[in-house]
Amino acid sequence: MPNNKGTLQIRNLSKSFIVDNNPLQILNDINLTVHSGAFVTIVGSSGCGKTTLLRIMLGLENHYTGEALIDGKQIIGPGSDRGIVFQDHRLLPWLTVGENVAFGLDKLKRKEKKLLVDEHLKLVGLNGFESAYPSQLSGGMAQRVAIARALASKPEILLLDEPLGALDALTRMYMQQELERLWLLEKITMIMVTHDIDEAIYLSDKVVIMSSRPGVIKKIIDVPLSRPRDRASSDFTRIKAEILEEFHLGTEYPFAYAI
Amino acid sequence: MKRFAFNKKTKAILGVFAFPIVLIGLWQLFILAGFSSARFLPPPYKVLQKFVILFSEPTYSHHIAVSLQRVMIGFFIGTLAGFLFGLLMGLSKTAEKIFAPFFHAIRQVPMIGWIPLIIMWFGMNELPRVLIISVAAFYPITLNTFSGVRNVPREYLELASVYGFKGLTLIKKIIIPAALPSIATGISLGLAMSWSVLMVAEIFIQTALGVGTQIQRGRDRFDIALVIAGIITVGVLGYAMTVLVQKIVQAVERGRVISTEK
Amino acid sequence: MSKKFIQRLGLKDKLLALIVPLLVLAAWQGAVSQKLCSDLILTPPLTLLNTLVELAQSGDLTLNILASLKRVMIGFLLGGTSGFVLGILMALSPFLNSIFGPLIKALQQVPEFAWMPLIIMFLGIDESAKYFFVAIGAFYPMVLNTYQGVSGVPEKYHELARVFDYKSFRYLFKVIIPSALPSIITGIRLSLGLSWMFVVGAELFGSDSGVGYLMTWGRAVFQIDLVMAGLILVGVIGFAMNVLLEIAEKRFLLWREPVDGRPV
Repeated sequence: MPNNKGTLQIRNLSKSFIVDNNPLQILNDINLTVHSGAFVTIVGSSGCGKTTLLRIMLGLENHYTGEALIDGKQIIGPGSDRGIVFQDHRLLPWLTVGENVAFGLDKLKRKEKKLLVDEHLKLVGLNGFESAYPSQLSGGMAQRVAIARALASKPEILLLDEPLGALDALTRMYMQQELERLWLLEKITMIMVTHDIDEAIYLSDKVVIMSSRPGVIKKIIDVPLSRPRDRASSDFTRIKAEILEEFHLGTEYPFAYAI
Repeated sequence: MKRFAFNKKTKAILGVFAFPIVLIGLWQLFILAGFSSARFLPPPYKVLQKFVILFSEPTYSHHIAVSLQRVMIGFFIGTLAGFLFGLLMGLSKTAEKIFAPFFHAIRQVPMIGWIPLIIMWFGMNELPRVLIISVAAFYPITLNTFSGVRNVPREYLELASVYGFKGLTLIKKIIIPAALPSIATGISLGLAMSWSVLMVAEIFIQTALGVGTQIQRGRDRFDIALVIAGIITVGVLGYAMTVLVQKIVQAVERGRVISTEK
Repeated sequence: MSKKFIQRLGLKDKLLALIVPLLVLAAWQGAVSQKLCSDLILTPPLTLLNTLVELAQSGDLTLNILASLKRVMIGFLLGGTSGFVLGILMALSPFLNSIFGPLIKALQQVPEFAWMPLIIMFLGIDESAKYFFVAIGAFYPMVLNTYQGVSGVPEKYHELARVFDYKSFRYLFKVIIPSALPSIITGIRLSLGLSWMFVVGAELFGSDSGVGYLMTWGRAVFQIDLVMAGLILVGVIGFAMNVLLEIAEKRFLLWREPVDGRPV
């Protein structure tokens, strides 16, 4: 296992913030292994610490107990072995689409850069948009540029923080297909945080269910369905029911997560 | 990066007191180290001494009073004219079309450029001094009154027409209150401009009385302590006026919040 | 604002816009030709035009404009650059901010023209005093707007820079300055506008060349046409600098999303 690239291990990880001089437990004893090349989603109500967990994987959060390892090595700060797609596309408005995709490739030569930019814009279906500015793009297009930017530095693991959260329902479903296509093509590990259960089942091999206060992993559900998946199939709805069940039992106010 | 970790209160106290003390200390050190002769840059205590002397005779207070009066008259005229002119252009699109282009063109000329011409027209009198101060207040107050009046929310105007408000009632009950925050901004900007232009007026249009005149006189007599004392006086008075206007604006706005809550 | 406004005007509006200038011109001409006031006090419009043409032909016009522009440029570069650098440093270092923040705030309370006598006492009434005075005018808007722009760089961009390992100068030039650019350009505009005002002030105070000098000289020899010509030059050059900067701004900020009601 450790000789496969893009394996993520979280061991006994806990994290708390100090709020008004009182420690507030955000994550409690998280244990999670994501195998190389897997697509794993983390679902949970807001405030369950799923985004914090992702930021730990990314290396933006550094104060915690326990271990966070990539291919057996401790995560220290952000690195080019991990790519990130944020919920807001976070493209720099003063750079063109092409320059944004090249943002993480600054150390490469001009020619190599151009090659990688072209390749990845094509990959997300936006070739020809190199010289457009982010303000000229729709939300879905901007998010595709953000994905291209993350993939261009050839990460082993792509972290996705509710990347489709700000898109309308139809664009969202289309982008889910796109993500699956990219994942199949790139054969890298993808870890996505979402609160959309359909999205989680549609995309992932494993759905990690977290509950809040403090954030713990409640259950990890395998999704052994063949791809592409049919959102209306009985297996799909069965798994969905199974996940929903977890939430209903796990929360004091059963519907709170849906708000 | 390691950051200094003072708590808020200490920081505030340090901010207020430490800074002038450090500055005066450096000033004193600068002289003690012999970088500058006392004739060229007097030590801090000389300036303090100057202040004591200045305030012990009635003339300096009189200079200050004259400057304040000058600013107030100019500012008042400029505010009144700017308010009326801004209101007119805000209410009537035709008036805007007639006056705005000329107004914007004239506004391009820096205030200082008018000095030689108005001196030739009016002589070295009080009139050109007050005139230029009122023009300084006139520009920002016109602009802000105009945009405040023009941007009264349509909802309020609809409401007014439902209740049959027209003419002066409409202006008094809806338009001016709705434009008030913008007008207040214009007034504080206008006051700052007036105070700034007061110096231009007193330095360029020679006169016997006023703080700016005192600074000029200090230069003529090569009395640097007097010049520095004058600069400090002008700075402190300007600051006090800014704070005063801010307080008034805040009070007006607080009053509005309460009255709308009722 | 004014330019956008003029572009928006239709033909009828353009005619309306001409009413006041024409009335002013008519009153001006009328006052002179009806001998309501002496031409020592008011130059007839045509004479004024003639004066401008004569100034241009004799080369005095170019000479004095260039003298003023040189002072503006040097003063603006001195004051603007130091304001720019200090603004960045203050926004990035809380320590420097706690030192210079109160200093700038305190100095700002003093109307700039009050410094003039002191500067002249220190530096004499020669060129360096003028550069310094213009630099003071250029400094404040630059330091304030740069500080605001840089300290307003959104946290999300700082995070992005960390993720992609942007550090020191690369971070500064690729993320921080571009993000602060709209604010910095506002600073440049205000700064250049004030520089122009201050150069005229410095020249009125004492000088042997420049547009301001043209006016003081006109006043000294009681030639009102020179004073008025100078005034027109002051306005036109200030306006031209503003227009040039507007064009530059549009070019630099192509990426900015169109925001309604943005002051132009």
